[in-house]
Amino acid sequence: MAGIEARFLLHRERFTLDVDLHLPARGVTAVFGDSGSGKSTLLRCIAGLERAPQGRLGVNGEVWQDGARWVPTHRRPLGYVFQEASLFPHLSVLGNLRYGARRGPGVAPARLDQAIELLGIGHLLDRRVDGLSGGERQRVAVARALGVEPRLLLMDEPLASLDLKRKQEILPYLDRLHDDLEIPVLYVSHSPDEVARLADHLVVLEDGRVRASGPLAESLVRLDLPVRLGEDVGAVLDGTVAVIDEAWHLARVDFPGGGLWTPDRGLAIGRRVRVRVMARDVSVSRVRPGQTSIQNVLRGRVDAIADDQHPGLELMRVQIGDSMLVARLTRRAAAALEVVPGQPVWVQVKSVALVE
Amino acid sequence: MIRSPRPTLARLAAASLLACAALLPVAGRAEKITVAAAADLKFAMDEIAAAFRAANPSDEVDVIYGSSGKFDAQIQQGAPYDLFFSADIAFPRDLAKHGLAASDVKPYALGRIVLWSASLDATRMTLASLADPKITRIAIANPKHAPYGKRAEEALRASGLWAQVEPKLVYGDNVAHTAQFVLTGNAQIGLIALSLAINPELAGKGGYWLIPGELHEPLEQGYVITRRAAGSALARRFAEFMGGKPSRAVMTRYGFVLPGEAAGRREVHDPQ
Amino acid sequence: MTRSDLQAIWLTARLAGAVTLILLLVGTPIAWWLARARSWWKGPLGAVVALPLVLPPSVLGFYLLLAMGPGGPVGRLTQALGLGLLPFTFGGLVVASVLYSLPFMVQPLQTSFEAIGDRPLEVAATLRASPLDAFFTVAVPLALPGFLTASLLTFAHTVGEFGVVLMIGGNLPGVTRVASVQIYDHVEALEFAQAHRLAAAMLAFSFVALLALYAWRPGARKAP
Repeated sequence: MAGIEARFLLHRERFTLDVDLHLPARGVTAVFGDSGSGKSTLLRCIAGLERAPQGRLGVNGEVWQDGARWVPTHRRPLGYVFQEASLFPHLSVLGNLRYGARRGPGVAPARLDQAIELLGIGHLLDRRVDGLSGGERQRVAVARALGVEPRLLLMDEPLASLDLKRKQEILPYLDRLHDDLEIPVLYVSHSPDEVARLADHLVVLEDGRVRASGPLAESLVRLDLPVRLGEDVGAVLDGTVAVIDEAWHLARVDFPGGGLWTPDRGLAIGRRVRVRVMARDVSVSRVRPGQTSIQNVLRGRVDAIADDQHPGLELMRVQIGDSMLVARLTRRAAAALEVVPGQPVWVQVKSVALVE
Repeated sequence: MIRSPRPTLARLAAASLLACAALLPVAGRAEKITVAAAADLKFAMDEIAAAFRAANPSDEVDVIYGSSGKFDAQIQQGAPYDLFFSADIAFPRDLAKHGLAASDVKPYALGRIVLWSASLDATRMTLASLADPKITRIAIANPKHAPYGKRAEEALRASGLWAQVEPKLVYGDNVAHTAQFVLTGNAQIGLIALSLAINPELAGKGGYWLIPGELHEPLEQGYVITRRAAGSALARRFAEFMGGKPSRAVMTRYGFVLPGEAAGRREVHDPQ
Repeated sequence: MTRSDLQAIWLTARLAGAVTLILLLVGTPIAWWLARARSWWKGPLGAVVALPLVLPPSVLGFYLLLAMGPGGPVGRLTQALGLGLLPFTFGGLVVASVLYSLPFMVQPLQTSFEAIGDRPLEVAATLRASPLDAFFTVAVPLALPGFLTASLLTFAHTVGEFGVVLMIGGNLPGVTRVASVQIYDHVEALEFAQAHRLAAAMLAFSFVALLALYAWRPGARKAP
């Protein structure tokens, strides 16, 4: 069976990891949750650094752990990027990179060269580890993990120990990774922005249990189990920069279902981007809005309605073409509008955030 | 309200002074002496000291055993010994020469050396037996600084056996250590002090053969009261006790005889 | 200095060198286990390793004398193996010194290994290094200062060893009469001038050896 099958039951002091997951064989799966939710533990179990007494792990058909078998970490074809780069202080950058590559299945220097280029660290090869910045260190760590020709890449909050500037530096490289890699990546993070930017598949953990597991866009617009990446519910859409209005410094991002105008940030036409639309920024109208300052007005159909946390509010999922958005209304307003699922509505989006 | 620290301090000082006073030994009545005694005197001296303590319950007598040469050197450097019973009278004489004696140097015994073994029957052996190739390890005390070791070497040389025996020798730090080598079986046989060999501890494990006295220099064992104990009445009393009849009887029993006295046990192989 | 003095120094050097090498081989796995293990045996084993620190050397020497003698377990074993008895031999001194200096090798190594922590070894595992591979290519280089300290301490401790050697050595020139015993003999025989000379020579020798190793220590902070 393709993909990753992971079943673990592990008792820890503050929580019990109890998961049964099936994850895709390609793309980035983000594992999201608060600290103490078991994200790192899950990753370590998959890597074999923790041993759940009853567990099952199959990766693309290979069984790495079950009742009878236990493949030790050093025999699993994986790459692991730790939260603090954890480069070997006694080796140079090149020494670190070669460490894994040397022990890989068939030594393929081309692979390592590719990784070095992908992460842009060619100029650092002779340097000693303690002379590098945090961002540089992480890039070396990622390249080092890629050097073993892994069939699965595990990343445990790789940006957590970096400041904003360094994060911005390294994110483009991770984007590239996302685009270029053909192997599955498990990316643990507690940052909604990182998840929104990089994830294809989302797993949400809470107290060691899985609260949601599914494709990103779909998961974020679930109403039965509102998945919050951060404080509020919001949808994430994959789109392309289609039009630039230079006179008004606006850009339009087209997605399957329509287009959204957003302040021009200098991105080129054709560039693929993601946008986030928070529920609080979406309002609904039965008729086409008249003279309003809101530029983004789209036609859609009510898909589902559910109660929000506050008794006075509710969440409404609206289908726009092939995509979904979520709006937050007061129940009084919804009652006054008499909207029901299936009904056509107009949607106004006050604010669109480019995920970058 | 902040109390001034001084009254508390004064109280503390008074308390500690009282405590110190309570710990001070009661002066005048009880005295204490430390006796340095050669290792080979262990069993004999233990008995004599015990008898002395029984007769003088309020006095303290500590006996330290060790090598005579070491004691000589230590006393010259100010070691706090009040009496010195040496295995070789040369050492107390050395002390006297350096002005560290408070009494005359007196002999208390003539040391004798014996062959002793825990695994072989030494009673049937002579020095010549040591040349036997079956005997691979012979223990003697270090001739360099142990009187019994020096005499052992002299006896071996005098009997013309030194060349054959020397390669098989192992050296103990003092004669008691030498006996340990033999007792644990690491050396099959040893030349040790008679006084050690006739002690029940060792006698029970093996017999001995008395090495003829004319093969070596006499081992005059002597003692002295050190200058440090010049004013000590207890030291003088102990020295007198050593010379008294009961103590002489104990010494005799352990093989420490003065010329003219008979040894405690029948001398089995007195050479002709 | 006399020939016998030089002989004693050479013997001391050989003993210290042999013991340090042997303890590097024997002590490293022990230190590694103590640093990494989580079983409850850790406490007892650690205490046993530390025992020679608290035992008076002559006491240890005495029990070794018993154990290595013909009636003791070690003695019976060596005899059965055709090796004869260990007391009064250089080999016996080596064995005794290995026991006596064990904590001086194991404890600094253990501390060094503990300081590495789990992370570098986990990283090595994710980079396909087997546990043995990771030990040699990651743990050992990172613990190198610890190895040096442990070797220095063991060497120095063995050079200074006296009580144990005296108890089981038998003071045989060229075989068990190490420098410390030789000095002691000089003092006992009131040959103070010779004692001073030999002691000074030993001090100089030790100091030079230690200085050379300390100055060369890799990873030591160099002056800017």
